[in-house]
Amino acid sequence: MPHRWGMVVDLDRCTGCEACVVACRAENNVPTVGEAEAARGRAIHWIRVERYVDGEFPDVRVKFLPVFCQHCDAAPCEPVCPTYASYHTADGLNAQVYNRCIGTRYCANACPYTVRFFNFFNPVWEKPLHLQLNPDVSVREVGVMEKCTFCVQRIKAAEIAAKAEDRPLRDGEVVPACAQACPSRALVFGDLNDPDSEASRLAGSHRATHLLGELGTQPKVFYLQREGGHDRQDREGDQ
Amino acid sequence: MLLLAVAAGWRMWGTVLPPTVSEGETPRQPSARPTPSVFTPAHRTLGDAVEAFFGIRPEAVQPIAFSHRVHVENDLGCTDYCHPHATEGPQAGLPSLRTCMLCHATIATEHPEIQKMTAYEERGEDVTWQRVFGFVRSAHVRFNHAPHVRADVACATCHGDVGSQTVAQRLDLTMGQCIDCHEAQQAAIECVTCHF
Repeated sequence: MPHRWGMVVDLDRCTGCEACVVACRAENNVPTVGEAEAARGRAIHWIRVERYVDGEFPDVRVKFLPVFCQHCDAAPCEPVCPTYASYHTADGLNAQVYNRCIGTRYCANACPYTVRFFNFFNPVWEKPLHLQLNPDVSVREVGVMEKCTFCVQRIKAAEIAAKAEDRPLRDGEVVPACAQACPSRALVFGDLNDPDSEASRLAGSHRATHLLGELGTQPKVFYLQREGGHDRQDREGDQ
Repeated sequence: MLLLAVAAGWRMWGTVLPPTVSEGETPRQPSARPTPSVFTPAHRTLGDAVEAFFGIRPEAVQPIAFSHRVHVENDLGCTDYCHPHATEGPQAGLPSLRTCMLCHATIATEHPEIQKMTAYEERGEDVTWQRVFGFVRSAHVRFNHAPHVRADVACATCHGDVGSQTVAQRLDLTMGQCIDCHEAQQAAIECVTCHF
């Protein structure tokens, strides 16, 4: 059975530290564009941490929501691509093929999560900062779209390593950079087709929800909603 | 038509001249332009962009007239000493001077090319081998040698008959060749197998 890669985000655990954001940028050669262009909406973040503040001071609750490509099973970005640069792999990844992309940006407009980014410029790294670039990941040039790949380079490397030893992939063997960096282990990556994987187990939780699930995009990212003493309504109910 | 004319003109115009190397001097990269202070995937000049579009790449110029033929005739396998990482990971690797001197401290020490290496060693430098094969950056290919070696794909399948060459000559590989072989071997052919 093919894999079906997915991610579970435990919002009870997320502290909003943004270590995932830094790790993703380092792992995937995500360029920076500078302050002026970022203000024009041209910044690239494969993962972002959204912040929601509930209540009035001093009774304030802050909710952090890491948002990245949801790798939807019914991805709105895929049918709109005229060059099939955005397509679905057998493993359920929503892949972006840079060679094929001609930069129409239809996919970015179709994506309800706004997690697809266009390279308005050729990225530039001051030497010797270019030595930090990850050789396992392409450096994208001007005119192509890019987005979270679930660290496909790590998936491929783990698959090759497993095949060399003639064994199936083990749960927890593939860890994307964001999940690896998360100090509170709020992000759990795994095979949703494997009923014993941690991700699959967590995805079956009663707290599991999808982001904008009502749109019918069938995302493979599950958000475990906050509960217990953390939720404001619950605390009010206790009083 | 115009494009073809431009291409033909460019091929003549932009032909990489063999670098003039005086006796005893280390040959450098064919390009004599100063190294830029930033790294960017952008083409530096219109000429670079046109050359990239038509797949024109400068020939690698090796500092030493290394003979693959002599080494293969002496039963040295590709991955024995010189390119050992091909069996382990993505990059095959180029041998360091230390690897060469394992043998050449005692073998063929009178050969002029070996004496060049001895001179490198005395100066405390390494040999500046130029990479011959490799995908252009815009191809976005992440190639890994190890699984191909494990699948018993002979080096010559992609690299040609290097065993009869002196310094290695580049072959123009196309994605079609990759796909043909992947299909024959029933390996994955979806895009993200190689392009990511």
